[in-house]
Amino acid sequence: MSIVQVKGGGGGAVGLERTSFVGARVPPEIRAMIKPLSKLDKTAFKKILKVIASEIQGIEQSFQDLQPLLGGALTEDVLATVYCGLDDLVRRALKLPSSSLKKENFLQDLQDLQIPEGFHEDLVAMVVGPKRPLIDSHLEDRRPRLPSLENLSWRADVAISTGVLNRVLVRGVTMEMTLSDGSIKDFEMTVSKFQELRFHVASVLSEMEKLEKHSILKIKD
Amino acid sequence: MATTLFTASASIKKAVMLINDMDVNRFPLLLSRILQKLHLKEERTFSEEEEEKLQTAFGFSSNDLDLVLETLEFILQQAAYHTAKPAVLGEQLKQLEMNDDKVEKIVEAWTNGARNLVQKLKERTVHPNQLEEVKWRLNLQMAQASQSKVKRPNALFQLSVRDDSSGKKENIRLEFTHEELYEFYNQLETIQKQLDSLS
Repeated sequence: MSIVQVKGGGGGAVGLERTSFVGARVPPEIRAMIKPLSKLDKTAFKKILKVIASEIQGIEQSFQDLQPLLGGALTEDVLATVYCGLDDLVRRALKLPSSSLKKENFLQDLQDLQIPEGFHEDLVAMVVGPKRPLIDSHLEDRRPRLPSLENLSWRADVAISTGVLNRVLVRGVTMEMTLSDGSIKDFEMTVSKFQELRFHVASVLSEMEKLEKHSILKIKD
Repeated sequence: MATTLFTASASIKKAVMLINDMDVNRFPLLLSRILQKLHLKEERTFSEEEEEKLQTAFGFSSNDLDLVLETLEFILQQAAYHTAKPAVLGEQLKQLEMNDDKVEKIVEAWTNGARNLVQKLKERTVHPNQLEEVKWRLNLQMAQASQSKVKRPNALFQLSVRDDSSGKKENIRLEFTHEELYEFYNQLETIQKQLDSLS
């Protein structure tokens, strides 16, 4: 059994213990891929990375996209091992916010993992490159959440007269909310209930702003 | 010239005759119960049991009691619809040849109960779903499966909407990011401006 050991920062800060972005112990998927990865040619690597990147951004990929790469030393088994290992590596790198994972540290970790130097550039481009914000925004969009308010249609009116009362002259608000899950909710409210809703929304906004200024959000990690 | 609240139809005339014969002492209680229930859409003013007791108390047949109750309800409904002044109501009841003692009691009940009743009627709407309650929660998302060290504020809102016709309550649950909430807030401000121009 071969064990891949990740050593702490060779050229990094003296005395500072830093855990690699993959974690304290190298995950088995990554461990398994190191040897076949060293024998992989650059075009194949780029293609696999591209498929992984598309998958992460929600664009469904199929096996056909990778099939042409097969042949010779690159069997289905080897391809599977490399794909899984790379996928795991990339996802772990993307899990950390770009402010946390510095480029030098990332490169150091790749080196410690024995990822071939020729592949470093592409990996760095994905993790700290210009496309990173797009990936982050996609990951944020895919988080589990309650429905959002997609559209609000509303009406403010005055009830002049009803079947039971000749002179009503009462104002009201009617709303139709279309939620992101497709449901449509319609309802009415009195003016005082509307004021209450408005007050609550304003309060939460102000609380949110206070929260964002709070020191807990300023911690750099 | 004040609005005519009642036309002297045959059934009203008959009802007035029956009302005139009623014992005036129990009259006010009858009126106040009718006033209490007038704004409710579906509910009966008196239960079947109570109606039987009333029949005995006033010596009415079932049909006669129905006619009397219907007419009293109609009188008060009309008074409410036109938000009639007590004096006007009294005048017009006298024109229907109702006895003074009964007229006095009706006018008294109307004077005392009018404001409350009209207010309740004003609140009656046609749209069944009414927003009853707003609850919220402010969260700070710390992580998710695909991202760590997130620190993302989000607000959860629960709007309780009651269906007047079925009595069912629905909780609409929404989530807002800061931007989404700010957008919602701006929409509410626009609505407020409209409301201000309507007052």
